[in-house]
Amino acid sequence: MRSRITRHLWPVLGEPVPVRRQPDGAPAAERIAPETPPLELSGRDYAISLLRLAAEIEHGLMVQYLFAAYSLDPPTAPTARRPMVRRWQEAILGVAKEEMAHLVTVQNLLTALGGPLQFNREDFPHDTVLYASGFRLRPLSLSSLATYVVAESPEVWEGEQAERIKQQAAIEVGGTVNRVGRLYEELIAVVGNPALVPDSTFDAASSAFQASWDEWGRGYRRGERGRQLADDPDAPAVPELVIVTVDSRATAIAALEQVGEQGEGFGMPQDEDESHFERFLTIHEELEALSDDERQALVRDVATNPTTDLSGPDVGADPADTETTSPIANPAARLWAHLFNVRYRKLLVSLAHAFELAEDRTDPNSPGPRGSLIHRAFTEMYNLRSLAGLLVALPLDHAEPDGPRAGPPFQMPHTLMLPHDEDDRWRLHRDLLDASATLADRIGAVDGAGAARDYLAALAQADRIERDQVDALTAATARATAGAPTP
Amino acid sequence: MIHELRILPPLAIARFGSAATPMDNYDAVVDPANPLGYRTLRPAETLEVDSDSGAITRAFVPDALSFSENGALRPVAPFLEVWALVGDEQLSGGGRLEALTTTLLQEEGASADDLRWQVQVANLKVVRRTGDANDAVRADSGEFSDHARRALVGECENFLPGKTIGFGHVQYIRPTANHPEIRLRFTPAAGRVYGSNREPFPDEQTPDPNISDVVYDAQRGGWDGYSDDRREPRITAPWQIYAGRPIGDRHVSAGYLDDGCDGVLRVTLEVGGRTLRALGRVGAGPPTYVPDAAPIRTVADELEQALLGPEVEPADATFERVEEIVRRAFETVRLMNTTFWNVNGMGGGRPIMAPSLVDAIAVENLHQSLLVALRSGSAPWFGDVLRDHDDAADSTDRGRRKMPAMMRGADGRLMTLTRRQIALIRTLAQGPLFTEEEPEP
Repeated sequence: MRSRITRHLWPVLGEPVPVRRQPDGAPAAERIAPETPPLELSGRDYAISLLRLAAEIEHGLMVQYLFAAYSLDPPTAPTARRPMVRRWQEAILGVAKEEMAHLVTVQNLLTALGGPLQFNREDFPHDTVLYASGFRLRPLSLSSLATYVVAESPEVWEGEQAERIKQQAAIEVGGTVNRVGRLYEELIAVVGNPALVPDSTFDAASSAFQASWDEWGRGYRRGERGRQLADDPDAPAVPELVIVTVDSRATAIAALEQVGEQGEGFGMPQDEDESHFERFLTIHEELEALSDDERQALVRDVATNPTTDLSGPDVGADPADTETTSPIANPAARLWAHLFNVRYRKLLVSLAHAFELAEDRTDPNSPGPRGSLIHRAFTEMYNLRSLAGLLVALPLDHAEPDGPRAGPPFQMPHTLMLPHDEDDRWRLHRDLLDASATLADRIGAVDGAGAARDYLAALAQADRIERDQVDALTAATARATAGAPTP
Repeated sequence: MIHELRILPPLAIARFGSAATPMDNYDAVVDPANPLGYRTLRPAETLEVDSDSGAITRAFVPDALSFSENGALRPVAPFLEVWALVGDEQLSGGGRLEALTTTLLQEEGASADDLRWQVQVANLKVVRRTGDANDAVRADSGEFSDHARRALVGECENFLPGKTIGFGHVQYIRPTANHPEIRLRFTPAAGRVYGSNREPFPDEQTPDPNISDVVYDAQRGGWDGYSDDRREPRITAPWQIYAGRPIGDRHVSAGYLDDGCDGVLRVTLEVGGRTLRALGRVGAGPPTYVPDAAPIRTVADELEQALLGPEVEPADATFERVEEIVRRAFETVRLMNTTFWNVNGMGGGRPIMAPSLVDAIAVENLHQSLLVALRSGSAPWFGDVLRDHDDAADSTDRGRRKMPAMMRGADGRLMTLTRRQIALIRTLAQGPLFTEEEPEP
């Protein structure tokens, strides 16, 4: 199935390829080179396919980084090392937030080009060709960090350290780790070429539907976001979130350049902010200076690729094996993991739905539901953080209470396509609230203690409030459709 | 041996009411089954005082709470208790505070009659504007040791002859065998409005019926017809807080006064050749019309910062305390018309937030989600969005979007939390990302 996408990626990934293989396996001498745009695609269509892939990659990176950050700072970490580990955690969470902003900016680009939005991504297992660092949910380690460093690395990165880390990354994923920047370089070349993407392609009016800095950046400019460790002189610099609204070729190129620069830099970034590459490299250096035992003490023993699926071809027996999934056998943890998946879906649905509703710029006194959806998306980010905190403390397998922890599964839903009717979109929100309520009831029956119980009670109440609001919205739509007077 | 006396609480705030029976006691608590709702008012032990004898006739927990009686609001009338620092050790050692009772007085060879009280309160609202000391309205109970009610009669140089404003009364509670503690009760005034004339406002046919009496002599004092000098830096409260009418570009006072007051109460005890003194403070203000919610920043926050300083120890930065701050933010925002204030408040004429984000219900829901997350033991991540005390004058978009947003501080600048409140949140944020509970045994 993935081949329908990968076959169009040849210009990004490919070298000239042989037209046939010889019976003995040796490639033939006759080769053809990739073309831009690929045959079958227009320039605009090709740009859209690349943007949709970029969205998948940003999404995948964000999830992996979140998982890695959540795996840090166990209660057993030595006190003296805690500030360093918290600094790493903040740095990785900061990068994850920036990937979220990249994901949103890529949706803006898709909106401006008139392409379908892309909030989907692959679960594990996946096609490593598409996913720069090889998609794996795993606790932070020297080798997992190596894959992030390489994925975010600039085009020119050489020397002993570079080769060593590239080697670590290659061993980790069993192949070459692709640079994300390569995709953005191709995008800039395509989007910047009027012969491929004419001026008329850019829909300035679509900006009302796009995410804006004022809405999604929460208005907090440089250095003022996620700086929990303000008193720590070693705290990482916090750069700008890149959320660019696109209405022209110039803004599209600016968006692509900023996203690319924040990752690895096309060349090294010119401003004072550290790129993702530099921040990961710093952590790698600090982690590398520790012994194996010291490293182990700083990271929670969280299972790799945790999943609610108990069977299937990818299930492994070793929770530390990054090539297999780790079924969550612990019934309580599995219910929490299901709840995590429902809230994850709710986040993505809220994001996608917000893009369907234009910002009403005519009357600042009567905001529509778009703002509510944006707030809901942030609310679900808070919920994912809370649920991840509970999951990294729960055993994967109740038969091994001291064994590996479960961890957040980040499993994708069966679909992220939104219904055509606005009313039906709100019904989808209601479905997710119902699914969440069912899970909360089940969890309450098996795991009803302490902070988890308090959290669940508060979440259930918040959901009831939201459900009433959704009911009121759908009822209002029904009345409007029926032509009945609004009471 | 009694070393010192204290009046506790050292500051008590009364609330106006014209009903004969003061408001019953209650606590505002968070209902575990309703963590995102309003607080629940839970009746608490209440003391009933016989007004004639001054004795407490019963202590009871009401079945239900009622803020009014026969159509009149019940005043909140606080008790102020005298406590004694006792013990063999000197003050710097291990002295302890205990309630002063008739028993303790007897042990010292004294009685309840040996205590002398004096209460002095004033309303200086007009003085604060006009700067004229003759506009001060003051009441002094004089010294007393009996248990009769003492009216607090507010007098003013610029009042008409024979006119006064009643600030309520105080009563030294008569100790009994069941209630031997030494207490004084302050019952505030009804919450009435007084005037300087009976002239109708220009667009009205009749005088303002809210004026209960004309007390101010507009020939002697300048309050009726006063307007602020905008160059006067000492005036930080806006003119909208006093009644008046626009004339040209000025807001001209209609000469109103009220029976709010604050002041000090003193208690003196001569014992063993020594004179022991203690001082407490009282204030009276409007009723709390939202008793199940609290403002984001209160006098209590100011006092705590004054007492303990702007920094906090990590052990003080608990989830409960941070949740309380967030809960009060939520309770504040649910009373605000955020779409209106986003455009019209502290904004310099331009919206503060993206208009799509300020739907009142959506903002309320967002604050609820913070409460939900804190309950999971997830460290607060929003310390960086708080407005620091030295950013109160930052009117850039960046500055105006910090929290608390759309609100005005007492200095006329953007509202900030106290430095200590901010330190509580940021200190907790620097702890572990996830707080794990100790496993149950």
